[in-house]
Amino acid sequence: MKKSTVWSLVMMLVLAVFLAACNNDSSTKEKDNSGKEDDSATSTTEPKEGGVVTFATDQAPEGVYDPAYAGSAVDADIQGFTTESIFTINDELEYIPNYAKWDISEDRLTYTFTFEKGVKWHNGEELTVDDWVFALETLADPAYDGPRFNYVEDVKGAKAKKEGKADSIEGIEVVDPYTVKITFEKVKINNLENLWPNPMPKKHYEGIAVKDLGESKQVRENPVGLGPFKVKKVVAGEYSELERFDDYWKGKPLLDGIIVKVIDPSVATGAFQNGEIDIMGIRPQSVKELTALENVRIEETNGVSYSYIGLRFGHRDKATLTNVADFDKFKSKELRQALLYAINRPAMIDAFLEGKATVANTVIPRTFWIAAEESELNQYEFNQEKAKELLKSAGYVDKDGDGFVEDPNGQPFKISFGHYAGPAAFEGRSQAIIQSWNDIGVKTELATGSLIEFNLYNDMKDNDDAALEAFFGSWSTGSDPDPSGLWGNNSEWNYGRWVDDTNQTLLDAGLSVEAFDKDMRKATYVEWQKHFNEELPALPLWENMDLYGINNRLQGVHINAVGFQTDVHKWYVAE
Amino acid sequence: MLQYTIRRLLSMIPLLLLISLVVFSLAKMMPGDAFGGEIDPSNTNPQYIEEMREKLGYNDPIIVQYGRWISNFVQGDFGKSTVYKKPAVEVIAQRIPNTLFLAVVSLIFTYVFAFIMGMYAGRKPYTLGDNLIATYNYLALAIPSFVAGIVAIYIFSFQLGWFPFSGSVGIGLEEGTFEYYVSKVRHVLLPALVLGLMGTASYTQFLRNDIIENGRKDFVRTARAKGTSESKIYNKHILRNSIIPLITFLGFDIATLISGAVITETIFTFPGIGSLFLESVSRRDYAVMMSITMLLSFLTLFGNLVADLLYGIVDPRIRLD
Repeated sequence: MKKSTVWSLVMMLVLAVFLAACNNDSSTKEKDNSGKEDDSATSTTEPKEGGVVTFATDQAPEGVYDPAYAGSAVDADIQGFTTESIFTINDELEYIPNYAKWDISEDRLTYTFTFEKGVKWHNGEELTVDDWVFALETLADPAYDGPRFNYVEDVKGAKAKKEGKADSIEGIEVVDPYTVKITFEKVKINNLENLWPNPMPKKHYEGIAVKDLGESKQVRENPVGLGPFKVKKVVAGEYSELERFDDYWKGKPLLDGIIVKVIDPSVATGAFQNGEIDIMGIRPQSVKELTALENVRIEETNGVSYSYIGLRFGHRDKATLTNVADFDKFKSKELRQALLYAINRPAMIDAFLEGKATVANTVIPRTFWIAAEESELNQYEFNQEKAKELLKSAGYVDKDGDGFVEDPNGQPFKISFGHYAGPAAFEGRSQAIIQSWNDIGVKTELATGSLIEFNLYNDMKDNDDAALEAFFGSWSTGSDPDPSGLWGNNSEWNYGRWVDDTNQTLLDAGLSVEAFDKDMRKATYVEWQKHFNEELPALPLWENMDLYGINNRLQGVHINAVGFQTDVHKWYVAE
Repeated sequence: MLQYTIRRLLSMIPLLLLISLVVFSLAKMMPGDAFGGEIDPSNTNPQYIEEMREKLGYNDPIIVQYGRWISNFVQGDFGKSTVYKKPAVEVIAQRIPNTLFLAVVSLIFTYVFAFIMGMYAGRKPYTLGDNLIATYNYLALAIPSFVAGIVAIYIFSFQLGWFPFSGSVGIGLEEGTFEYYVSKVRHVLLPALVLGLMGTASYTQFLRNDIIENGRKDFVRTARAKGTSESKIYNKHILRNSIIPLITFLGFDIATLISGAVITETIFTFPGIGSLFLESVSRRDYAVMMSITMLLSFLTLFGNLVADLLYGIVDPRIRLD
């Protein structure tokens, strides 16, 4: 009997690990953010008041309601209804004032923020700059245990406070209850984008030590925000009930409330059909099923995520935090270009993404205002003959007659390509890529022989595992256009470890003082994209579209690349 | 018997230690940790991740981490959930009522149906009815519960609209009201039916086989010879003897009560221990995962003990020493 006990535990663990692996496709980064208005579906009726809608999600919220402590995407979705930042992001992904305006000083170091008057917290208190200063001071507090210190570290004196050398942040100066001056350490184009934009309800948090704040009831159970809806009731792991906030500063919301409900993705279609859920981010695989439903429309938009094939150029030196280019397999530019010419990207998009993606030739999604015109970029249209020519010109020819090319030195040449495990489509698309490369005579094998469990895959990428010579990857970029976090020479997430002088020079220029001139900044990034497009340090595949299933009764939803929660107070129900 | 109980309880300690060591090491050997996985480049701060890993001791050797964990554990500190950022005990305690409720209801279904089917099959073995029951039981055993769950949701929730398809309670109901409890029951019925009806196989077949076997014994022949009615023979003489082996199962059920049904809970978004366990494994929430594992290990061992003790009580022929 003892034996069977241990055995059953082991079995349970094995099963759990297995299931965990299956479950991980939810974290593959093919996220469902969003992009563009669909005029046809909206405005069929006049907006009216009343009604409750259900937003469904396939992951349970963690129940952290202050953005300064939250980390999960579902919590962020709830905060999208209950909180509001001092600035918002428009459809072109530019930062625009929300309830605060700002002026930039001559020397570009000091930003003066002016808050609107009469903006109310859910508890009836009026918002003042003190609430925001309180938030910034909290983030810089040595006892703060949330993940957001990097959003204040550029403010002058924030590092000193974090290290315990100062009691408050030197660069903050409160002028009056509606005006505050923030001085930064250095002139940077994206100081504003990297500044924490969410005030904290100071009165509500009064008397709680910073180290206890993250676990306090005020953050976890009865949060107070500025958004159009407030938290009414939370049933952990099941649903969160939000109700209308009548004193919302942009005017009373039309809906009575919003339910954020956790459901298993396998029953989403049925739940849509029965009208049990009204809006949900969906995967391309669900499009066919949902299109068949009469009461549901699908809205799509170009998002901010893209997929690519990374190529290895070196490794990361963890001691010096630099990337070192010491792996020469992909050194030939012709080889890299040939690899991209070999892949029929439109066919893959149709086969594996239901056509819901756009071929990409750089790694700046086209929603961004800095995106280069397609006419300025080499299109790399599917052409295996051209790929073979390129290989030949670079010296990759089949010398021993086995059907596969050897490298210019006559040594056998083989690529080990890695992909993470997930839905059935992953199997297909990894095989399609391998097949494409084999077709042009570049011998390619699947790294480790099978798709790799997602956590393990990330570990392998972090540690520059030798098996991942080429690897599939996806990024969701967020709204800051600066690509240096992902492709900078010494960036941690430059997983291919591509080190290139022109690359870094252009990226730096995009963040320089000169870049305050918007046209100049765009020109710099276009230049960078052309360089990337020519060099192909990674092979851009496609930009994912963000897809939402929306019940026809829900109207007034505006979707853009940032998400679906722009102006939620204008959502309404048409029966 | 007291001596026996104490001895058994004491022998659990090394066993639990061993289990914890194995599970802990396996858990830590899984690639990734609570801070790995999906990286949002605009939102993830690598310094913070490093700081947290250092602070939580993820960089220490596994054996050091184990020592720290076990010494806290025996002192009653079960650690803090990295996902919910609350003590693991709180997170688990919150889920237990739901799981217990689901488990009890589903066990009632299992018992009632298994009892009826087992009695019938045992009394009329090798008939059409018996074969049908056997067929059903083995089918139910073979069908994975997630398939059964999804099919049940599509038929009973979406097509017929009899039951809600997810959650443990209706939205917006105040705790303590009559509607609240009605809603709770309505929500638990479908997952409980799926769980209960899929799990009848072992009970039914055990009961059936025992009844057949006992039906051939001398005391039954004697009873028949005395002219006792068939129904009395089966319902009284045979049944009493046949239930004894089933008591062994009762012990196992104690652990089942808490462990819930990992997959069924997930499909029905029923917030219980099962779905929490699954989530804690996939998100590397070590504190919660280890606490649940230890809880289940203990309950399984404890359940075995209870089964053995009960066995001794109901069947005086068995001596525990």
